[in-house]
Amino acid sequence: MNFSMRRFRAMVTKEWKDATRNPQILLNAGMPILLAVLFGQRGFEPGDLAYLSMPVLIAISVTGAFVQANMIAEEKEKHTLRALMLSPASKLEVLAGKSATTSLFALIVCAICVLVSGIPPVHLGYVLLLSFLLLLIFMALGTIIGLIARTASESSIVGLPILLVFVFGPIFVPDFDLPALMEFVHWLPSYQFVLAFTELLQDGGLRQIAGYLFYLLAWAAGTGVLSLLIYSRKRFDK
Amino acid sequence: MQSIIEVEHLEKRYNKKQALKQISFQVRPGEIFGFLGPSGSGKTTTVKILTSQLRHSSGHVQVLGDDPNRSRHAGFLSKIGVLTDNSGLYERLSVHDNLILFCRLYGVPDRRIDEVLEAMNLSDDRHTQVGKLSKGMKQRVTLGRAILHEPAILFLDEPTSALDPVNGGRIRETLREMNRRGTTIFLTTHNMEEAEELCDRVAFLNHGEISALDTPQALRLQHGDRSITVTTAHGKQVVQPNAEGAEYIRELMRRGELLAIHSNEPTLGDIFVTLTGRGLQ
Repeated sequence: MNFSMRRFRAMVTKEWKDATRNPQILLNAGMPILLAVLFGQRGFEPGDLAYLSMPVLIAISVTGAFVQANMIAEEKEKHTLRALMLSPASKLEVLAGKSATTSLFALIVCAICVLVSGIPPVHLGYVLLLSFLLLLIFMALGTIIGLIARTASESSIVGLPILLVFVFGPIFVPDFDLPALMEFVHWLPSYQFVLAFTELLQDGGLRQIAGYLFYLLAWAAGTGVLSLLIYSRKRFDK
Repeated sequence: MQSIIEVEHLEKRYNKKQALKQISFQVRPGEIFGFLGPSGSGKTTTVKILTSQLRHSSGHVQVLGDDPNRSRHAGFLSKIGVLTDNSGLYERLSVHDNLILFCRLYGVPDRRIDEVLEAMNLSDDRHTQVGKLSKGMKQRVTLGRAILHEPAILFLDEPTSALDPVNGGRIRETLREMNRRGTTIFLTTHNMEEAEELCDRVAFLNHGEISALDTPQALRLQHGDRSITVTTAHGKQVVQPNAEGAEYIRELMRRGELLAIHSNEPTLGDIFVTLTGRGLQ
Protein backbone atom coordinates (compact mmCIF):
# COMPACT_ATOMS: atom_id res chain seq x y z
CA MET A 1 0.00 0.00 0.00
CA ASN A 2 1.43 3.38 -1.01
CA PHE A 3 1.83 6.27 1.42
CA SER A 4 2.03 9.90 0.37
CA MET A 5 3.15 12.55 2.87
CA ARG A 6 1.21 15.17 0.88
CA ARG A 7 -2.04 13.27 1.30
CA PHE A 8 -1.23 12.47 4.93
CA ARG A 9 -0.67 16.19 5.68
CA ALA A 10 -3.91 17.06 3.88
CA MET A 11 -5.79 14.56 6.05
CA VAL A 12 -4.23 15.87 9.27
CA THR A 13 -5.06 19.49 8.35
CA LYS A 14 -8.66 18.55 7.59
CA GLU A 15 -9.05 16.41 10.72
CA TRP A 16 -7.62 19.13 12.97
CA LYS A 17 -9.87 21.86 11.53
CA ASP A 18 -12.92 19.61 11.75
CA ALA A 19 -12.16 18.22 15.22
CA THR A 20 -11.59 21.66 16.75
CA ARG A 21 -15.11 22.62 15.61
CA ASN A 22 -16.74 19.39 16.74
CA PRO A 23 -18.54 19.89 20.10
CA GLN A 24 -18.53 16.15 20.88
CA ILE A 25 -14.77 15.91 20.41
CA LEU A 26 -14.18 19.10 22.41
CA LEU A 27 -16.33 17.66 25.20
CA ASN A 28 -14.30 14.44 25.13
CA ALA A 29 -11.13 16.49 25.36
CA GLY A 30 -12.48 18.82 28.05
CA MET A 31 -13.75 16.12 30.41
CA PRO A 32 -10.31 14.78 31.46
CA ILE A 33 -9.10 18.34 32.02
CA LEU A 34 -12.04 19.04 34.31
CA LEU A 35 -11.36 15.82 36.23
CA ALA A 36 -7.66 16.74 36.47
CA VAL A 37 -8.59 20.15 37.91
CA LEU A 38 -10.76 18.43 40.55
CA PHE A 39 -7.95 15.97 41.22
CA GLY A 40 -5.51 18.86 41.68
CA GLN A 41 -7.89 20.58 44.09
CA ARG A 42 -8.21 17.41 46.15
CA GLY A 43 -4.47 16.99 46.53
CA PHE A 44 -2.98 13.60 47.42
CA GLU A 45 -1.81 11.70 50.47
CA PRO A 46 1.54 9.85 50.58
CA GLY A 47 -0.35 6.55 50.12
CA ASP A 48 -2.17 7.78 47.06
CA LEU A 49 0.61 7.01 44.58
CA ALA A 50 -1.61 4.90 42.31
CA TYR A 51 -4.13 7.72 42.10
CA LEU A 52 -1.48 10.05 40.68
CA SER A 53 -1.56 8.19 37.38
CA MET A 54 -5.32 8.70 37.02
CA PRO A 55 -5.32 12.11 35.27
CA VAL A 56 -2.90 10.76 32.66
CA LEU A 57 -4.81 7.48 32.30
CA ILE A 58 -8.15 9.26 31.89
CA ALA A 59 -6.69 11.86 29.48
CA ILE A 60 -5.18 9.19 27.25
CA SER A 61 -8.10 6.78 27.33
CA VAL A 62 -10.87 9.32 26.80
CA THR A 63 -9.13 11.36 24.09
CA GLY A 64 -7.36 8.37 22.51
CA ALA A 65 -10.40 6.12 22.24
CA PHE A 66 -13.31 8.52 21.98
CA VAL A 67 -11.83 11.17 19.67
CA GLN A 68 -10.63 8.43 17.30
CA ALA A 69 -13.96 6.57 17.45
CA ASN A 70 -15.94 9.76 16.87
CA MET A 71 -13.87 10.76 13.84
CA ILE A 72 -14.23 7.35 12.20
CA ALA A 73 -17.92 6.86 13.00
CA GLU A 74 -18.80 10.33 11.73
CA GLU A 75 -17.06 9.72 8.40
CA LYS A 76 -19.29 6.67 7.97
CA GLU A 77 -22.42 8.42 9.18
CA LYS A 78 -22.02 11.42 6.86
CA HIS A 79 -20.84 9.31 3.88
CA THR A 80 -17.61 11.28 3.65
CA LEU A 81 -15.53 8.11 4.01
CA ARG A 82 -16.93 7.00 0.64
CA ALA A 83 -15.66 10.21 -0.98
CA LEU A 84 -12.23 9.70 0.60
CA MET A 85 -12.10 6.08 -0.53
CA LEU A 86 -12.93 7.14 -4.08
CA SER A 87 -10.03 9.60 -4.03
CA PRO A 88 -6.38 8.56 -4.34
CA ALA A 89 -6.08 8.58 -0.52
CA SER A 90 -5.34 5.06 0.70
CA LYS A 91 -7.04 3.55 3.73
CA LEU A 92 -3.70 3.73 5.53
CA GLU A 93 -3.32 7.47 4.81
CA VAL A 94 -6.85 8.13 6.04
CA LEU A 95 -6.31 6.18 9.26
CA ALA A 96 -2.85 7.70 9.81
CA GLY A 97 -4.30 11.21 9.41
CA LYS A 98 -6.94 10.49 12.03
CA SER A 99 -4.50 8.81 14.39
CA ALA A 100 -2.02 11.70 14.15
CA THR A 101 -4.80 14.18 14.99
CA THR A 102 -5.99 12.04 17.89
CA SER A 103 -2.39 11.82 19.17
CA LEU A 104 -2.05 15.59 18.99
CA PHE A 105 -5.28 16.03 20.94
CA ALA A 106 -4.20 13.44 23.52
CA LEU A 107 -0.78 15.07 23.89
CA ILE A 108 -2.26 18.52 24.52
CA VAL A 109 -4.95 17.22 26.88
CA CYS A 110 -2.43 15.04 28.72
CA ALA A 111 0.02 17.94 29.15
CA ILE A 112 -2.73 20.20 30.52
CA CYS A 113 -3.91 17.42 32.87
CA VAL A 114 -0.40 16.90 34.22
CA LEU A 115 0.02 20.65 34.79
CA VAL A 116 -3.30 21.25 36.53
CA SER A 117 -3.32 18.10 38.64
CA GLY A 118 0.09 18.70 40.22
CA ILE A 119 1.67 15.34 39.30
CA PRO A 120 5.39 15.50 40.23
CA PRO A 121 7.52 15.64 37.05
CA VAL A 122 9.55 12.45 37.51
CA HIS A 123 11.18 10.34 34.81
CA LEU A 124 9.44 12.29 32.04
CA GLY A 125 11.02 10.18 29.29
CA TYR A 126 9.67 6.91 30.73
CA VAL A 127 6.30 8.48 31.47
CA LEU A 128 6.11 9.63 27.85
CA LEU A 129 7.05 6.16 26.60
CA LEU A 130 4.44 4.46 28.79
CA SER A 131 1.84 7.05 27.80
CA PHE A 132 2.64 6.60 24.11
CA LEU A 133 2.12 2.84 24.31
CA LEU A 134 -1.13 3.33 26.23
CA LEU A 135 -2.26 5.86 23.60
CA LEU A 136 -1.60 3.34 20.82
CA ILE A 137 -3.77 0.79 22.64
CA PHE A 138 -6.64 3.21 23.18
CA MET A 139 -6.44 4.56 19.62
CA ALA A 140 -6.69 0.99 18.33
CA LEU A 141 -9.71 0.40 20.58
CA GLY A 142 -11.16 3.72 19.37
CA THR A 143 -10.69 2.62 15.76
CA ILE A 144 -12.58 -0.62 16.45
CA ILE A 145 -15.36 1.26 18.29
CA GLY A 146 -15.62 3.75 15.41
CA LEU A 147 -15.90 0.91 12.89
CA ILE A 148 -18.57 -0.90 14.93
CA ALA A 149 -20.68 2.20 15.67
CA ARG A 150 -23.03 3.37 12.93
CA THR A 151 -23.10 7.01 14.01
CA ALA A 152 -20.86 9.41 15.93
CA SER A 153 -23.24 9.48 18.89
CA GLU A 154 -23.45 5.69 18.90
CA SER A 155 -19.66 5.58 19.26
CA SER A 156 -20.03 7.09 22.76
CA ILE A 157 -22.54 4.41 23.71
CA VAL A 158 -20.45 1.57 22.28
CA GLY A 159 -17.32 3.02 23.90
CA LEU A 160 -18.78 3.53 27.37
CA PRO A 161 -18.43 -0.10 28.57
CA ILE A 162 -14.82 -0.08 27.38
CA LEU A 163 -14.16 3.12 29.30
CA LEU A 164 -15.77 1.62 32.42
CA VAL A 165 -13.68 -1.54 32.24
CA PHE A 166 -10.33 -0.09 31.15
CA VAL A 167 -10.33 3.14 33.18
CA PHE A 168 -12.57 2.73 36.18
CA GLY A 169 -11.55 -0.91 36.70
CA PRO A 170 -7.99 -0.03 37.82
CA ILE A 171 -9.30 2.96 39.83
CA PHE A 172 -12.06 1.33 41.86
CA VAL A 173 -11.67 -2.46 41.86
CA PRO A 174 -8.52 -2.53 44.06
CA ASP A 175 -10.55 -0.79 46.80
CA PHE A 176 -12.96 -3.72 47.08
CA ASP A 177 -12.43 -7.30 48.14
CA LEU A 178 -13.27 -8.87 44.80
CA PRO A 179 -10.48 -11.34 43.97
CA ALA A 180 -12.00 -12.64 40.72
CA LEU A 181 -12.56 -9.14 39.37
CA MET A 182 -9.12 -8.08 40.56
CA GLU A 183 -7.60 -10.99 38.66
CA PHE A 184 -9.33 -9.71 35.50
CA VAL A 185 -8.28 -6.08 36.12
CA HIS A 186 -4.71 -7.26 36.54
CA TRP A 187 -4.67 -8.23 32.85
CA LEU A 188 -5.74 -4.80 31.68
CA PRO A 189 -3.03 -2.58 30.14
CA SER A 190 -4.45 0.39 32.02
CA TYR A 191 -3.78 -1.35 35.35
CA GLN A 192 -0.25 -2.27 34.25
CA PHE A 193 0.21 1.40 33.30
CA VAL A 194 -0.87 2.45 36.81
CA LEU A 195 1.59 -0.01 38.37
CA ALA A 196 4.44 1.21 36.13
CA PHE A 197 3.60 4.83 36.88
CA THR A 198 3.65 4.08 40.62
CA GLU A 199 7.09 2.49 40.24
CA LEU A 200 8.38 5.67 38.59
CA LEU A 201 6.91 7.85 41.34
CA GLN A 202 8.79 5.67 43.85
CA ASP A 203 11.98 6.52 41.96
CA GLY A 204 12.02 3.26 40.03
CA GLY A 205 13.88 3.11 36.71
CA LEU A 206 13.90 1.17 33.47
CA ARG A 207 14.67 -2.11 35.31
CA GLN A 208 11.51 -1.75 37.41
CA ILE A 209 9.21 -0.85 34.53
CA ALA A 210 10.70 -3.05 31.77
CA GLY A 211 8.12 -5.80 32.34
CA TYR A 212 5.26 -3.32 32.18
CA LEU A 213 6.71 -1.77 29.01
CA PHE A 214 6.80 -5.15 27.27
CA TYR A 215 3.30 -5.91 28.48
CA LEU A 216 1.97 -2.62 27.08
CA LEU A 217 3.95 -3.17 23.88
CA ALA A 218 2.32 -6.59 23.44
CA TRP A 219 -1.13 -5.06 24.00
CA ALA A 220 -0.35 -2.23 21.55
CA ALA A 221 0.78 -4.74 18.92
CA GLY A 222 -2.25 -6.99 19.49
CA THR A 223 -4.90 -4.27 19.43
CA GLY A 224 -3.08 -2.49 16.59
CA VAL A 225 -3.10 -5.59 14.39
CA LEU A 226 -6.73 -6.32 15.28
CA SER A 227 -7.88 -2.79 14.47
CA LEU A 228 -5.97 -2.75 11.17
CA LEU A 229 -7.43 -6.13 10.27
CA ILE A 230 -11.00 -4.94 10.93
CA TYR A 231 -10.31 -1.61 9.21
CA SER A 232 -8.83 -3.18 6.09
CA ARG A 233 -11.66 -5.70 5.77
CA LYS A 234 -14.36 -3.12 6.30
CA ARG A 235 -15.72 -2.29 2.86
CA PHE A 236 -18.01 0.59 2.03
CA ASP A 237 -20.17 -1.26 -0.46
CA LYS A 238 -23.07 -2.11 1.81
CA MET B 1 -8.98 2.66 -27.39
CA GLN B 2 -12.33 1.57 -28.81
CA SER B 3 -14.29 1.77 -25.57
CA ILE B 4 -13.50 3.62 -22.39
CA ILE B 5 -15.94 1.41 -20.47
CA GLU B 6 -16.54 -2.16 -21.55
CA VAL B 7 -19.10 -4.38 -19.84
CA GLU B 8 -19.90 -7.92 -20.98
CA HIS B 9 -22.38 -10.32 -19.42
CA LEU B 10 -22.12 -8.52 -16.09
CA GLU B 11 -23.95 -10.17 -13.21
CA LYS B 12 -24.32 -9.16 -9.59
CA ARG B 13 -26.05 -11.28 -6.98
CA TYR B 14 -26.82 -10.29 -3.41
CA ASN B 15 -27.48 -13.62 -1.70
CA LYS B 16 -30.48 -14.92 -3.64
CA LYS B 17 -31.41 -11.64 -5.29
CA GLN B 18 -29.99 -11.01 -8.73
CA ALA B 19 -29.42 -7.26 -9.12
CA LEU B 20 -27.81 -7.38 -12.59
CA LYS B 21 -28.57 -10.04 -15.19
CA GLN B 22 -25.98 -10.47 -17.92
CA ILE B 23 -25.85 -6.81 -18.95
CA SER B 24 -23.50 -5.74 -21.75
CA PHE B 25 -22.67 -2.29 -23.08
CA GLN B 26 -19.75 -0.12 -24.15
CA VAL B 27 -19.13 3.56 -23.58
CA ARG B 28 -17.00 5.37 -26.14
CA PRO B 29 -14.39 8.00 -25.22
CA GLY B 30 -15.89 11.50 -25.14
CA GLU B 31 -19.46 10.27 -24.99
CA ILE B 32 -22.24 11.24 -22.56
CA PHE B 33 -23.87 7.92 -21.80
CA GLY B 34 -27.21 7.89 -19.99
CA PHE B 35 -28.24 4.97 -17.80
CA LEU B 36 -31.95 5.27 -17.24
CA GLY B 37 -34.17 3.23 -15.00
CA PRO B 38 -36.47 3.39 -12.02
CA SER B 39 -35.29 2.94 -8.42
CA GLY B 40 -34.07 -0.59 -7.79
CA SER B 41 -33.36 -1.31 -11.44
CA GLY B 42 -29.61 -1.77 -10.82
CA LYS B 43 -28.23 1.64 -11.86
CA THR B 44 -26.40 2.34 -8.61
CA THR B 45 -25.08 -1.23 -8.44
CA THR B 46 -23.62 -0.79 -11.93
CA VAL B 47 -21.99 2.54 -10.99
CA LYS B 48 -20.54 0.99 -7.83
CA ILE B 49 -19.03 -1.88 -9.83
CA LEU B 50 -17.60 0.47 -12.46
CA THR B 51 -16.04 2.72 -9.78
CA SER B 52 -14.43 -0.15 -7.82
CA GLN B 53 -16.76 0.16 -4.83
CA LEU B 54 -18.36 -3.22 -5.35
CA ARG B 55 -17.21 -6.57 -6.71
CA HIS B 56 -19.28 -8.15 -9.45
CA SER B 57 -20.38 -11.78 -9.32
CA SER B 58 -19.48 -12.67 -12.91
CA GLY B 59 -18.85 -11.17 -16.31
CA HIS B 60 -16.19 -8.89 -17.71
CA VAL B 61 -15.74 -5.21 -16.78
CA GLN B 62 -13.04 -2.81 -17.96
CA VAL B 63 -12.82 0.88 -17.19
CA LEU B 64 -9.96 2.83 -18.81
CA GLY B 65 -8.42 -0.52 -19.70
CA ASP B 66 -8.39 -1.71 -16.06
CA ASP B 67 -10.56 -4.14 -14.16
CA PRO B 68 -12.10 -1.96 -11.41
CA ASN B 69 -12.04 -5.00 -9.09
CA ARG B 70 -8.28 -4.86 -9.13
CA SER B 71 -7.83 -1.12 -9.66
CA ARG B 72 -8.23 0.44 -6.25
CA HIS B 73 -5.01 2.38 -6.71
CA ALA B 74 -4.28 6.09 -6.83
CA GLY B 75 -3.62 6.02 -10.61
CA PHE B 76 -7.05 4.62 -11.45
CA LEU B 77 -8.93 6.70 -8.87
CA SER B 78 -7.26 9.89 -10.14
CA LYS B 79 -8.82 9.33 -13.55
CA ILE B 80 -12.40 8.93 -12.38
CA GLY B 81 -14.78 11.35 -10.67
CA VAL B 82 -17.85 10.13 -8.83
CA LEU B 83 -20.95 11.91 -7.64
CA THR B 84 -23.35 9.52 -5.93
CA ASP B 85 -26.74 10.28 -4.44
CA ASN B 86 -25.28 10.27 -0.93
CA SER B 87 -21.80 11.77 -1.38
CA GLY B 88 -21.11 13.54 1.89
CA LEU B 89 -19.40 16.83 2.69
CA TYR B 90 -17.67 18.04 5.84
CA GLU B 91 -20.46 20.23 7.20
CA ARG B 92 -18.36 22.08 9.80
CA LEU B 93 -15.77 23.14 7.21
CA SER B 94 -16.11 25.89 4.63
CA VAL B 95 -16.67 25.23 0.92
CA HIS B 96 -13.04 26.15 0.29
CA ASP B 97 -11.74 23.82 3.03
CA ASN B 98 -13.80 20.95 1.63
CA LEU B 99 -12.33 21.47 -1.82
CA ILE B 100 -8.75 22.14 -0.75
CA LEU B 101 -8.62 18.74 0.98
CA PHE B 102 -9.40 17.03 -2.31
CA CYS B 103 -7.02 19.33 -4.23
CA ARG B 104 -4.24 18.05 -1.98
CA LEU B 105 -5.40 14.42 -2.19
CA TYR B 106 -5.45 14.57 -6.01
CA GLY B 107 -2.32 16.74 -6.26
CA VAL B 108 -4.23 19.48 -8.09
CA PRO B 109 -3.07 23.14 -7.83
CA ASP B 110 -5.17 25.23 -5.42
CA ARG B 111 -6.09 27.69 -8.20
CA ARG B 112 -8.35 25.01 -9.67
CA ILE B 113 -10.75 25.74 -6.79
CA ASP B 114 -11.45 29.22 -8.26
CA GLU B 115 -12.37 27.71 -11.64
CA VAL B 116 -14.66 25.12 -10.06
CA LEU B 117 -16.36 27.64 -7.76
CA GLU B 118 -16.94 29.91 -10.73
CA ALA B 119 -18.42 27.08 -12.78
CA MET B 120 -20.68 26.06 -9.89
CA ASN B 121 -21.73 29.67 -9.21
CA LEU B 122 -20.32 29.41 -5.68
CA SER B 123 -17.53 32.01 -5.74
CA ASP B 124 -19.31 34.24 -3.23
CA ASP B 125 -19.83 31.32 -0.84
CA ARG B 126 -16.29 29.99 -0.72
CA HIS B 127 -15.89 30.82 2.98
CA THR B 128 -19.40 29.74 3.98
CA GLN B 129 -19.66 26.74 6.27
CA VAL B 130 -21.11 23.86 4.24
CA GLY B 131 -23.67 23.07 6.95
CA LYS B 132 -25.26 26.47 6.32
CA LEU B 133 -25.76 25.90 2.57
CA SER B 134 -29.03 24.85 0.95
CA LYS B 135 -29.40 21.31 -0.40
CA GLY B 136 -28.94 22.55 -3.95
CA MET B 137 -25.77 24.45 -3.07
CA LYS B 138 -24.37 21.39 -1.31
CA GLN B 139 -25.07 19.38 -4.45
CA ARG B 140 -23.07 21.92 -6.44
CA VAL B 141 -20.15 21.68 -3.98
CA THR B 142 -20.25 17.89 -4.29
CA LEU B 143 -20.22 18.10 -8.07
CA GLY B 144 -17.40 20.65 -7.88
CA ARG B 145 -15.41 18.19 -5.79
CA ALA B 146 -16.05 15.41 -8.35
CA ILE B 147 -14.69 17.51 -11.24
CA LEU B 148 -11.85 19.18 -9.32
CA HIS B 149 -9.20 16.90 -10.83
CA GLU B 150 -10.71 16.96 -14.35
CA PRO B 151 -11.29 13.21 -14.52
CA ALA B 152 -11.27 11.24 -17.76
CA ILE B 153 -14.63 9.69 -16.79
CA LEU B 154 -17.23 11.31 -14.61
CA PHE B 155 -19.85 9.06 -13.00
CA LEU B 156 -22.91 11.06 -12.00
CA ASP B 157 -25.90 9.71 -10.11
CA GLU B 158 -28.82 12.14 -10.39
CA PRO B 159 -26.58 15.23 -10.51
CA THR B 160 -29.33 17.83 -10.75
CA SER B 161 -32.05 16.16 -8.67
CA ALA B 162 -31.82 18.69 -5.82
CA LEU B 163 -31.39 21.77 -7.99
CA ASP B 164 -33.75 24.49 -9.18
CA PRO B 165 -34.09 24.87 -12.99
CA VAL B 166 -31.58 27.77 -13.19
CA ASN B 167 -28.85 25.97 -11.29
CA GLY B 168 -29.74 22.66 -12.94
CA GLY B 169 -29.23 24.34 -16.30
CA ARG B 170 -25.94 25.79 -15.14
CA ILE B 171 -24.70 22.37 -14.06
CA ARG B 172 -25.75 20.86 -17.40
CA GLU B 173 -23.81 23.59 -19.19
CA THR B 174 -20.75 22.81 -17.05
CA LEU B 175 -21.09 19.12 -17.90
CA ARG B 176 -21.37 19.89 -21.61
CA GLU B 177 -18.27 22.09 -21.36
CA MET B 178 -16.35 19.32 -19.60
CA ASN B 179 -17.54 16.87 -22.24
CA ARG B 180 -16.38 19.25 -25.02
CA ARG B 181 -12.96 19.21 -23.38
CA GLY B 182 -12.90 15.40 -23.58
CA THR B 183 -14.42 14.09 -20.33
CA THR B 184 -16.58 11.02 -20.81
CA ILE B 185 -19.72 11.17 -18.70
CA PHE B 186 -21.68 8.22 -17.36
CA LEU B 187 -24.98 9.63 -16.14
CA THR B 188 -27.77 7.89 -14.27
CA THR B 189 -30.98 9.85 -14.04
CA HIS B 190 -34.73 9.74 -13.75
CA ASN B 191 -34.96 13.05 -15.52
CA MET B 192 -35.90 12.36 -19.14
CA GLU B 193 -35.48 15.96 -20.28
CA GLU B 194 -31.98 15.93 -18.83
CA ALA B 195 -31.15 12.67 -20.60
CA GLU B 196 -32.56 13.93 -23.91
CA GLU B 197 -30.68 17.21 -23.56
CA LEU B 198 -27.31 15.76 -22.56
CA CYS B 199 -26.90 12.16 -23.66
CA ASP B 200 -25.37 10.92 -26.89
CA ARG B 201 -26.71 7.43 -26.14
CA VAL B 202 -28.96 5.99 -23.48
CA ALA B 203 -29.54 2.54 -22.04
CA PHE B 204 -32.81 1.56 -20.37
CA LEU B 205 -32.29 -0.63 -17.33
CA ASN B 206 -35.22 -2.56 -15.93
CA HIS B 207 -35.04 -5.26 -13.22
CA GLY B 208 -31.30 -5.63 -13.82
CA GLU B 209 -31.59 -6.04 -17.60
CA ILE B 210 -30.94 -3.62 -20.44
CA SER B 211 -34.10 -3.41 -22.52
CA ALA B 212 -32.89 -0.86 -25.08
CA LEU B 213 -29.68 0.97 -25.97
CA ASP B 214 -29.33 3.60 -28.68
CA THR B 215 -29.27 7.34 -29.33
CA PRO B 216 -32.36 9.18 -28.06
CA GLN B 217 -33.24 10.12 -31.65
CA ALA B 218 -32.97 6.53 -32.91
CA LEU B 219 -35.13 5.28 -30.03
CA ARG B 220 -37.76 7.89 -30.80
CA LEU B 221 -37.79 6.89 -34.45
CA GLN B 222 -37.92 3.16 -33.68
CA HIS B 223 -40.74 3.43 -31.18
CA GLY B 224 -42.41 6.58 -32.32
CA ASP B 225 -45.68 7.53 -33.82
CA ARG B 226 -44.89 9.57 -36.94
CA SER B 227 -48.22 11.36 -36.92
CA ILE B 228 -48.52 15.14 -36.56
CA THR B 229 -50.81 17.16 -34.32
CA VAL B 230 -52.18 20.38 -35.78
CA THR B 231 -53.86 23.01 -33.65
CA THR B 232 -56.52 25.33 -35.06
CA ALA B 233 -59.07 27.63 -33.43
CA HIS B 234 -61.40 24.60 -33.36
CA GLY B 235 -58.98 22.39 -31.40
CA LYS B 236 -56.30 19.78 -32.01
CA GLN B 237 -56.28 17.13 -34.70
CA VAL B 238 -53.92 14.26 -35.43
CA VAL B 239 -52.81 14.06 -39.07
CA GLN B 240 -50.97 11.12 -40.64
CA PRO B 241 -47.75 11.85 -42.58
CA ASN B 242 -49.14 11.03 -46.03
CA ALA B 243 -50.33 12.93 -49.12
CA GLU B 244 -53.79 13.41 -47.65
CA GLY B 245 -52.38 14.82 -44.43
CA ALA B 246 -50.03 17.12 -46.33
CA GLU B 247 -52.93 18.44 -48.38
CA TYR B 248 -54.99 19.03 -45.21
CA ILE B 249 -52.18 21.03 -43.55
CA ARG B 250 -51.61 23.02 -46.76
CA GLU B 251 -55.32 23.89 -46.83
CA LEU B 252 -55.25 25.06 -43.18
CA MET B 253 -52.22 27.23 -43.93
CA ARG B 254 -53.82 28.66 -47.03
CA ARG B 255 -56.89 29.64 -45.01
CA GLY B 256 -54.73 31.03 -42.22
CA GLU B 257 -56.31 28.69 -39.67
CA LEU B 258 -53.18 26.82 -38.59
CA LEU B 259 -52.12 27.91 -35.07
CA ALA B 260 -49.49 25.27 -34.23
CA ILE B 261 -48.02 22.06 -35.61
CA HIS B 262 -46.17 19.38 -33.59
CA SER B 263 -44.66 16.01 -34.43
CA ASN B 264 -45.85 13.25 -32.12
CA GLU B 265 -42.43 11.82 -31.24
CA PRO B 266 -42.58 9.95 -27.96
CA THR B 267 -40.42 11.07 -25.05
CA LEU B 268 -37.81 8.71 -23.65
CA GLY B 269 -40.18 8.24 -20.70
CA ASP B 270 -42.95 7.10 -23.06
CA ILE B 271 -40.60 4.68 -24.78
CA PHE B 272 -39.48 3.29 -21.42
CA VAL B 273 -43.08 2.62 -20.45
CA THR B 274 -43.75 0.98 -23.84
CA LEU B 275 -40.74 -1.29 -23.49
CA THR B 276 -40.96 -2.21 -19.82
CA GLY B 277 -44.53 -1.61 -18.81
CA ARG B 278 -43.45 0.58 -15.91
CA GLY B 279 -42.62 4.23 -15.32
CA LEU B 280 -39.24 5.72 -14.51
CA GLN B 281 -40.04 7.12 -11.06
